[in-house]
Amino acid sequence: MSTPLEKPQIISHIQKSLNYTVFDSKWIPCSAKFVCMGNFPRGTGVIQIYEVQHGEVQLIKEIEKAKPFKCGTFGATSLQQRHLATGDFGGNLNIWNLEAPEIPVYSVKAHTEIVNTIDGVGGLGIGDGAPEIVTGSRDGTVKVWDPRQKDTPVANMEPIEGETKRDCWTVAFGNASNDQDRCVCAGYDNGDIKLFDLRNMSVRWETNIKNGVCCVEFDRKDINMNKLVATSLEGKFHVFDMRTQHPTKGFASVSEKAHKSTVWQARHLPQNRDIFMTAGGAGGLHLWKYEYPAQRSKKDADEIEMGVAGSASLLQNVTLSTQPIASLDWSPDKQGLCVCSAFDQTVRVLIVTKLNRV
Amino acid sequence: MPLPYLTKEFGMETEQVSSMLDLGTTKSYKIPVEHLDYSFIEKCTDVRHLEKILVVLRSGEEGIYPALTEFCEKKIESLDPRSRALRKEKPPATAASFSSDEWREIMCDLKSWSKEINQRETELKHQSVLDNSENVPPVRGSNVFVPSKQNKINKGKTSKNKVVPREYSEWDKFDVEKECAKVEGCNKEKSSPGLINHGLPKIKRKIDTTGLTDKEKNIIANREKDKGNEFFNAKDYEDAVVYYTRSISVIPSVAAYNNRAQAEIKLQHWNNAFNDCEKVLELEPNNMKALLRRATVYKHLGKVKEAADDLKKVLQAEPENVMAKKLLHETEGNKDMQSKKQPKGKRILIQEVEDLDDETETESCLLVGGESAAEKGEMGNAQRKFTGRGDGGPQTEEKSPSTAKKAQTKRGSSEKGSYQGAKEQGQVNEFQRNESYAGDQTSPSSSGTDSSRPDVPVDSGALPPDIARLKSQGNELFKSGQFSEALLKYTQAISDFTEAEIDSPGDLSILYSNRAACFLKDGNCSDCIQDSTRALELQPFSVKPLLRRAMAYESLERYRQAYVDYKTVLQIDSGVQSANDSVNRITRLLIDQDGHNWREKLPDIPAVPLSAQQNRWEGTSANYEQTQQKTKGSGGSKPVQDTGKKTEALFLSHKQEGNDFVKKGQYKDALGKYTECLKLKSSECAIYTNRALCNLKLNQYEEAKQDCDSALQLEPSNMKAFYRRAMAHKGLQNYAYCMDDLKEVLRLDPKVAEAEKELQEAAELFSKQSVAPDSQEKQRKKIQIQEVNDSDEEETENTRDKSDGKEVNRHVGTGDNQINHCGSENMFPLQPTNAYEFGQALNAVKSKEDIAACAKLLCSVEPENLPSLMSNKLEVDSFTIIIQALDNHLLQKDPTLVYRHLVHLHEAERFKMVSLLLGKTEKEQVKQLFDHLSTVESVQFTSDDIQNLAKHYLF
Repeated sequence: MSTPLEKPQIISHIQKSLNYTVFDSKWIPCSAKFVCMGNFPRGTGVIQIYEVQHGEVQLIKEIEKAKPFKCGTFGATSLQQRHLATGDFGGNLNIWNLEAPEIPVYSVKAHTEIVNTIDGVGGLGIGDGAPEIVTGSRDGTVKVWDPRQKDTPVANMEPIEGETKRDCWTVAFGNASNDQDRCVCAGYDNGDIKLFDLRNMSVRWETNIKNGVCCVEFDRKDINMNKLVATSLEGKFHVFDMRTQHPTKGFASVSEKAHKSTVWQARHLPQNRDIFMTAGGAGGLHLWKYEYPAQRSKKDADEIEMGVAGSASLLQNVTLSTQPIASLDWSPDKQGLCVCSAFDQTVRVLIVTKLNRV
Repeated sequence: MPLPYLTKEFGMETEQVSSMLDLGTTKSYKIPVEHLDYSFIEKCTDVRHLEKILVVLRSGEEGIYPALTEFCEKKIESLDPRSRALRKEKPPATAASFSSDEWREIMCDLKSWSKEINQRETELKHQSVLDNSENVPPVRGSNVFVPSKQNKINKGKTSKNKVVPREYSEWDKFDVEKECAKVEGCNKEKSSPGLINHGLPKIKRKIDTTGLTDKEKNIIANREKDKGNEFFNAKDYEDAVVYYTRSISVIPSVAAYNNRAQAEIKLQHWNNAFNDCEKVLELEPNNMKALLRRATVYKHLGKVKEAADDLKKVLQAEPENVMAKKLLHETEGNKDMQSKKQPKGKRILIQEVEDLDDETETESCLLVGGESAAEKGEMGNAQRKFTGRGDGGPQTEEKSPSTAKKAQTKRGSSEKGSYQGAKEQGQVNEFQRNESYAGDQTSPSSSGTDSSRPDVPVDSGALPPDIARLKSQGNELFKSGQFSEALLKYTQAISDFTEAEIDSPGDLSILYSNRAACFLKDGNCSDCIQDSTRALELQPFSVKPLLRRAMAYESLERYRQAYVDYKTVLQIDSGVQSANDSVNRITRLLIDQDGHNWREKLPDIPAVPLSAQQNRWEGTSANYEQTQQKTKGSGGSKPVQDTGKKTEALFLSHKQEGNDFVKKGQYKDALGKYTECLKLKSSECAIYTNRALCNLKLNQYEEAKQDCDSALQLEPSNMKAFYRRAMAHKGLQNYAYCMDDLKEVLRLDPKVAEAEKELQEAAELFSKQSVAPDSQEKQRKKIQIQEVNDSDEEETENTRDKSDGKEVNRHVGTGDNQINHCGSENMFPLQPTNAYEFGQALNAVKSKEDIAACAKLLCSVEPENLPSLMSNKLEVDSFTIIIQALDNHLLQKDPTLVYRHLVHLHEAERFKMVSLLLGKTEKEQVKQLFDHLSTVESVQFTSDDIQNLAKHYLF
């Protein structure tokens, strides 16, 4: 990394302007296609499928539905089916067969308000165990769904009666290293981060990072919890080492001031869990590498194990847009290929080079 | 003008300068203008200050100086290359950022990828959709509610900072910069204490790929290998091995074998590494890395010649290979010493890992059916165990795979032998526990062999002495019922063990299993489960951890998992009575819970390999003989055992009926049943807590309290007992004790919402009561106790037996306290050791006005300790009862003790206060006591002493 060219470079390979507000974009696994989900100006929802061909993107399909789509995931579907699970402004969770999108294959009124965030696990061979989808909503609840069970969630994480309901902005699955263990991490607008253990059905850990949590993601969903990245409204992100939990101090963490504005997204490279990209409110992308400390845990004064946080180093940063970048997704199949959408109604396909040399 | 931000490095100088010249400061940061100067920047070493200067320069508010800005940037970079101020906004890279070759390469790469992926996608579409839903675990459950509380961190801390809660409209006005500034500097985070799952849950070493296409398998294999690489890079070699193994279990590939070999080398599992290298070389005879790694292994196993052969091969192909040269040099150096002793070669790390291996085309992967089976054997735990211990041993002379195998089987069988031995011993322990009184009394004579309740170390020879010592200390403590201390010892042993990096899963497994037993005893079921799970990972299908985990699951009401574990135990050894009974009981429960299809909801019951079963069988028969001998030896214990069994059955049925009554709300009947249970066996904690509940429901608080006290004697950290005693205290209006108990509950488990609520309520009532202590007539509130008591059904027979044993131990051990113990109806701990226990005991005698009991209590404490035991709890009524006890019961027996008590009593904390509050009758009693005392003649004290003392009591 001595010369600048040895560093990974971020290339804006393709840009495509859209005629709607795009909230989320995701690669379709095992393909050169991606979906964009969003909101037409006339107030309806839209899913578009694009394919990367010869240096440009081709619109393959457009699906229009009544409610605007906020988020989507392929996390809980098999590689053969590749069904897209979406959350919309009306609080519905739908699963679509993109080949036959007329009626959803699964549909449930999941929340009373907008579904802000969605994540899936157990599909695509990622994570042992049942396919499950988790949704987080403005109504303050986080619900876990099993596509095999109609109408009711399998778990419901709800604030205690009488407390103010906080807007849940982000959810993520993790710790799915065997078919029983599984965790859901949720971030709220007041800075709360909660880790729910689905095996014990209890809150395993919680903390507050003082400002709204925009995004949480485990570095890997399908291993014993290793790291968790949480990004926040005031431009910071926190990396928690999830290996060693101290009874009172919780998990060790390192925080880094990444952007001059809100960090909307953090996504780990599927091919290397220690590299992740953050997307900022001022249209910037930062590529980070987490470096482990020499010893990942130590004993405190009372001889109790506690974690030791490493450090995050910036590999590269670019500014793509003046508007916030709302979504970011690495291609699971091609290392370094990445799609992101910004509020300037543009979707971009990026190439990040030299990732295997970091 | 003071400049508070200046640091020492340049503080003095600049201050003087600025005061002399006084050219003014910049608008932002108030930096003296003269700092914006080449010479200053050149000299300054304070990065923070330079960063501020850079911000000013970049902003252009003092004029635009591009050269100076650049100079400043360079200076910062030289001081701190990672400084945030150096981060600039950059446009994305374009073709111009690369050389044309590079750019072409990138684009070609993308093009070929999109072609390839399209092809794969079409293939994927044409495949028939296989539904492999039978492999998928069942639906988790329906609408399980997990309450989540809001963190109350920011409340009241920062006055104006309205981070929590913020209205939606406020987000529109949110000024990121300002918030950043606010947050900057106060990086401390608070996190609430939470549940901790220690260590790592089990990861399957094999992936079930039935129904998957080759393409999918390929993807999975690669992904698992990537994960292995990540773990390797994070120096987590054990997990790396696991994930490489998983990758191999899907599709065996050269890269995965090779990488696993490297990870095994790091772990110093030479034999495993050797096997992996062999595999690679079988598939690819000229794989340089594998040759290098095998050479490393050879070297560490002391086979210098083979190592040198391999290294020469490498150097033939790659004459410039530095690593090989170095290794060769070292091995040659070692050759001379070889004849004397096996050299302990230095660890050499072949650093370049994985990147190149990754690039090995997946096309070269072979699907070898037979080999994967062989692989599975290799993964087995038992095998790993011996390879670890056989490290560097002179007998490991694998020249060809066949001889290696022979050696393996040989050692494998010896392994089996010791394994069996372990089982036997464990089994004997169990039987012994099942034996009642007589059997246990004999145990001290045979102690050292098998009297310890935790698993006895069979192969402790492999343990370093300090760990072995820790372990035996733990065993001792466990035996004497000090579970938390034992826990600490085991934990220490485990951490030492892992630090020492000994590869002996068997021993580690035993340590974990023992610690699990401690957790179970402490009621910490979730940790018990984890430890047992780990023990099982290390030593699959060992009975004890399985049983312990089953019990823990059962007490957590996770009956399905408990059922599975019990079933597994029975597969291994169908003779485990407690497992049999538990299975029956749980079956009933599950049928109630899930209806007739309950079996469908069960997780899979693992099939126990025949070898494990066989071992067990032999083990038990041997056992049986042994126990037979034992019973003969101890004489007459057998009938006891038989009757024990009968009472057991009766006991169980009573208990079940009692529980049923509770469920129906017929507390009186339930009470009767539980009382009968206690007649049969008075050592089960759950019965006491259950009866306490009935008493509470029937508003018989005093009885409830007594039951809880008894329960707590049996299980000092039983949360339910504490909670119920708190309720009883509340009913008796002893709010102070009620609060104490509730605090105890919250200490044991901070998440018990009811306890918190009750605590608040009790605190309120307490403050009211202390304001108006005379208002005796309080509204009695009905207490709601919601929790239903299935979970009290927790102890399986086995634990009951254990607690039996415990009771016996106690009787034997504390013989002189026995009278005390039985006589006073278990009302207080035998010898109060702390203020809390003493307070409890005193409270008990006070409420019963049992002066005799109070006298006993006073006998059992040292007068010197009285003030500390009393702490600040001395009240008029307790004072009075002590005086009465001293006067009526102790004076005749032991006037000296009375005198000493009186001397120390007046040193108690609230003595003055209490003596002021004494009423007439109380004073009369005190006077009477002193009168009586002065009539006694003693060498210990004179009448003058008494006069002096009396002055303190009667002003």
